Amino acid sequence: MLGNLGRYITKRLPENNQYERIWILAKTDFKLKYYDTFLGMIWAIASPLFRILIYYFVFTFIFTNKIPNYGLHIFSGLLVWMFFQEATKKGLTILKSKRYLIENIKFNKLDLFVSSLLSSLMALIVNLIVYFIVTMFFKIPITWNLLFIPLIILNICILVFAVNLILSTINIFFRDMSQIWDMILLAMFWINPIFYAKSVIFEYFPILMYINPLAGIIVNIREGLMYGNPPDWNLLLYDYAYALVLLSLGLLIFYRYFHKAAEKL
Amino acid sequence: MTDNDIAIKLENVSKTFHIRDKKKKSFPDVIKGIFTGNNKRKIEAVKNITLNIKKGEFFGIVGANGSGKSTLLHLMTGVYRPDKGGKASINGNYIRLSLGLGFNQELTARENVFINASVMGLTFREIENKFHKIIRFAELEKFIDTKIKYFSRGMRARLAFAVAIHANADIILLDEFFGGVGDEKFRTKSEKLFEKAILRERTIVLVSHNLSIIKEHAKRVLLMHNGECMITGTPDKVFLYYQKVLKVNKLRINEDKTDA
Repeated sequence: MLGNLGRYITKRLPENNQYERIWILAKTDFKLKYYDTFLGMIWAIASPLFRILIYYFVFTFIFTNKIPNYGLHIFSGLLVWMFFQEATKKGLTILKSKRYLIENIKFNKLDLFVSSLLSSLMALIVNLIVYFIVTMFFKIPITWNLLFIPLIILNICILVFAVNLILSTINIFFRDMSQIWDMILLAMFWINPIFYAKSVIFEYFPILMYINPLAGIIVNIREGLMYGNPPDWNLLLYDYAYALVLLSLGLLIFYRYFHKAAEKL
Repeated sequence: MTDNDIAIKLENVSKTFHIRDKKKKSFPDVIKGIFTGNNKRKIEAVKNITLNIKKGEFFGIVGANGSGKSTLLHLMTGVYRPDKGGKASINGNYIRLSLGLGFNQELTARENVFINASVMGLTFREIENKFHKIIRFAELEKFIDTKIKYFSRGMRARLAFAVAIHANADIILLDEFFGGVGDEKFRTKSEKLFEKAILRERTIVLVSHNLSIIKEHAKRVLLMHNGECMITGTPDKVFLYYQKVLKVNKLRINEDKTDA
């Protein structure tokens, strides 16, 4: 289905080798994840839904809470979280997994990062579609403020792109990075308002809202998806600035150290 | 000769690797090493090479194992940066072919052809138009949708070579590419191709142990010895030296044995 759609789109776009290259790398990345499995693409939907169900039961029946529409609360938080986690884990090893191209052919290496991001974005879009189907069973206000959602997704994309540039380069010199990143991810998972409400952070640990760039993004995406509110502009601005600073740092590190990394691949 | 006629240009290119050996050391030694820099060992893989390869030239590189041939190729492509004072530039699209590398093992031949050709700069339409030619050249009509991991070495080599010559690579670098291919038919076929017009405008750099291929096709050959360029010249001239180098190496190995 996705392949046909892709073919349909690419046939109608003007020919551009760079876009095509990014597209084919992303498509195969995405496909490889579900390639050999019997149910294939169904896993892209089933596995996040299963996670949400488990968390929902744990946090409704074992640890009770008062957040309305709690299932959606978790879902909207996990949308962002799973995207970030999956994309950065893949990004961490990108130079190694694409070594077969990097060593042999001349091309713009940043294309690899764009395509990796794009393939994770496909999974996010699938999850978003499922989310909207699920919301039909809840009373959720649908407003024009939903149009801000792409703006927030763009923010996560810049963030992931920047983080991947930094992580993938460090990972070549310092193999322990993947272990460390796993630990950082675990910590981030719990300090982000995925299960609890944003008020918890704002009241007790306001600093966590700012040192961790995902918190604001999760809060804002929830405002749009669940409550039909516009984003908190201060948070949005802050998170954009955060992502752009990381992006400059990432590009700096990548251009400075990529050649040294290539020798150690 | 203007710069436009040059495909690969190396000026005073050297490459030193700083390698950290995995050896068990006591903790104080490690700390000491950080301050004195003793943790790393220097290896001069390529020493001071200056070289111009013309467009359309068929250039051979020979040398014993570990003489720096592969490092030199990586310096040519820019994957490795030369040490300070050296300059390397490559003028055009290149592809480096070496056995066992260059493909994603989990993908089929068709997908790999599309990825590699696209990364090399072909549009999807161009690849579709050339796809049958590529597969026919590689003689893999029955294996188009088979994963690369089930391919034999020879099949992979055929496919890689087919993509390289049908895509727009101006410069093809072959790193011991024919060394492991036992497929005589394919070898003669590719050798014939070296003679053909489609390859005339391409620059080919061939690193090989196989003297006969280089002797037959290369106009100029470089002999590497311990990271240095020992001599460049016609194949006949260089091979005389090469044989001497090999003999010296053999003698040294024998000496080592008697020493032990």
